Amino acid sequence: MTYLIGIPAIAVLTILQTSLVGHLRLIEGRPDLVMLAVVAWALTGRTHEAMVFGFAGGLFLDAFSAVPLGVSAAALVIVAVIASYSEGQFWGINPIMQLAAVLLGTVVYNLIIISALLVIGQPLDLQLALGRIVLPSLFVNLILTLPSVQLTEGLHNLLHPPRVAA
Amino acid sequence: MLSQFSAKALLASTLMLLAGAILILNLGGYLGPAQNVILPPLVAAQDWVSQRYFTIRDLVTSPRDVAALQARIGELEAENAQLEDRLIGLQEQAAEAEVLGALLNYARTRPESRYLSTNVIGLDPSPFIRSINIGVGSDRGVRHGMPVVTDEGLVGRVTEVTAVTSRVQLITDPASAVNVLLQGSRADGLLSAQPNGELWVELIDQDASVEPGELVLTSGLGGAFPADIAVGRVVSVRRRDFEMFQRAVIQPTVNFNALEIVLLVTNFRRLEIAP
Repeated sequence: MTYLIGIPAIAVLTILQTSLVGHLRLIEGRPDLVMLAVVAWALTGRTHEAMVFGFAGGLFLDAFSAVPLGVSAAALVIVAVIASYSEGQFWGINPIMQLAAVLLGTVVYNLIIISALLVIGQPLDLQLALGRIVLPSLFVNLILTLPSVQLTEGLHNLLHPPRVAA
Repeated sequence: MLSQFSAKALLASTLMLLAGAILILNLGGYLGPAQNVILPPLVAAQDWVSQRYFTIRDLVTSPRDVAALQARIGELEAENAQLEDRLIGLQEQAAEAEVLGALLNYARTRPESRYLSTNVIGLDPSPFIRSINIGVGSDRGVRHGMPVVTDEGLVGRVTEVTAVTSRVQLITDPASAVNVLLQGSRADGLLSAQPNGELWVELIDQDASVEPGELVLTSGLGGAFPADIAVGRVVSVRRRDFEMFQRAVIQPTVNFNALEIVLLVTNFRRLEIAP
């Protein structure tokens, strides 16, 4: 059930990412909607699903991008694994840890994409890429962290209602 | 706890291996048919969202009678494009006549370009790459290497084609290179985009007298683009005596932040020069 809703939702986020988000620039940064969704879902404790969503979302993103197909998929699986380290830890629900997960996720995701682009010979100025693209995106992602986690938790509770003892 | 960790590691490894396999298959060109099946519904949805976005944006930013005004603007833009094309052609002929004088008694003939208009349906989701996705593909006769223009000038060229969509590498992408001609000084150069977004014309002869404001056109050298398409205007020139070439910073004529509809030059045959 989760996958039936989750994977189309990830596809919708990809479409929004490629058609809308590129036009809506906040402080020169673009939010990574798919990555935010993957991190937020991993933070709800459902790591396996987050990894599958990351894999599917990455493939969708790469289908619309000049980034080689499979690179974003691998990157988002790694991001899901990283975000899942707080799973079962008492500090996992702390908003600061959620922000830290998004911070780390954004950096790792972008570094993997940059590495892949450098491997395929795309000219990139690393300093510029980090300073003018990754940093503003990171800031926008951090702003959107708490709303996206709240939204995801709401969806999680809808799909997996907490069991109440009789 | 350990088994949960193992299951997570197993799934992560499997997905990573799968991603690696997909990457290899894609680089080998084996995933084209699969993409042709998966992409059309996504492209249709992307196109729908883009059109709604543009409509809403236009509603917010435009006055009333939007439909009539838009139609009129469309007609005027088409007319303007034709006139610009003619003007550039005439200016080119005049400049050539000045340079070559009466000795070269010929007029350069250019076959009438045929265009295929299409919507821009999306931007590359990676902020490190400057390319756009357009809503036509090989089903409509789009081929790799086709030049893409607007009435304002050169946009880029098609670098990837599926059945229903194509990817256009913009001239502002750092991996792009275009042979250009500075209209006033008649100097050749190579247009290259810098990672910071600036457009430079490099390899300009030191003897050429390049002035700010000069129009930059495609030269047609190399056969990758047709000649005489507007690219930009010179903003500043860097000329140092100890360097072999000059360099000019240019402002593109196309507003790449407002691309909605582009034209593919369908009758242009790209020269594939191979040893």
